[in-house]
Amino acid sequence: MENISFRTTVLPLGDRLFRLALRITMNKAEAEDVVQDTLLKVWERREDWNQIDNLEAFAMATCRNRALDLVKRAGRITAPLDESQPTPMHSPHEQMEVREEFSHVRRLMDSLPETQRTIMLLRDIEGMTYQEIAQTLDISETQVKVYLHRARTKIKEWITNT
Amino acid sequence: MDYKYIEQLLERYWECQTTFEEETILRNFFRQEDVPASLLPYRQFFIEQDEMAEERLAGDFADRMLRMVGEESPIQVCKARRITVMHRFRPFYRAAGLIAILLTIGNAAHQSFSDDDIANGQQMAEDIAPDSLQQITIGQPEQQSAELTAQPADTIVAL
Repeated sequence: MENISFRTTVLPLGDRLFRLALRITMNKAEAEDVVQDTLLKVWERREDWNQIDNLEAFAMATCRNRALDLVKRAGRITAPLDESQPTPMHSPHEQMEVREEFSHVRRLMDSLPETQRTIMLLRDIEGMTYQEIAQTLDISETQVKVYLHRARTKIKEWITNT
Repeated sequence: MDYKYIEQLLERYWECQTTFEEETILRNFFRQEDVPASLLPYRQFFIEQDEMAEERLAGDFADRMLRMVGEESPIQVCKARRITVMHRFRPFYRAAGLIAILLTIGNAAHQSFSDDDIANGQQMAEDIAPDSLQQITIGQPEQQSAELTAQPADTIVAL
């Protein structure tokens, strides 16, 4: 039986969960709240830790769902995510704040559709394998590669056209 | 300098055909200041990714979470403890005690060797005493002559 503890196994996932939540909420305070909710949810499931195949993937999936719920509740998404268009996630005022905080390139990355953006984050920043990403998002590895290819192609086009 | 390899890696990166190792090479390349103009537009993208990887939770987040789930803080709290002068100087007392013991043992050993020497000296003295006394007696003519006159003739012969 694997020895899993909240302090040594679950809590160290915090920063990774925070970056994922931040890419979805675009707000540090909200992202921190999402991470807190996620870790408490994982704690509540502590009796099942040894039955969960991949605790990190479980935590990441929980975090992503909670962040998406929060964004939806706040009314920042008016339509289902459309992978073909950049998602307008913020009001104009919020977008101005984001513009001030992040650079042009980061704004390009943040304006990708959520799934593409999340996959790019998990691959390029968190260094996860295609298999781990597929497990986290509950999609196939082929879909992961397709989404990532779309994301990188858009970034390349934006960079070369500016 | 030839940047063909980097350009090839970059093309493969956009096509999602690079391995982790190849992507690490790309990131390391774009971290340096000296990047050719043709590749410069892509540099900011990789730099931004590095910066995004550094985004972290607030410093007290872990403590707050541990309190919420009822675990102790990861920071070990050191409780203040009153230390008396006796406690503070205890190491010195120990050292002094050790030195005293060593000196006692040393003195005892030294004393033991000295006693042996005295005993040996006494034995030697006893061994050589008759001869010495004899020599002393021979070395004193006035006493010798006085004794000689007081003693019978057979004793004088023996001497």
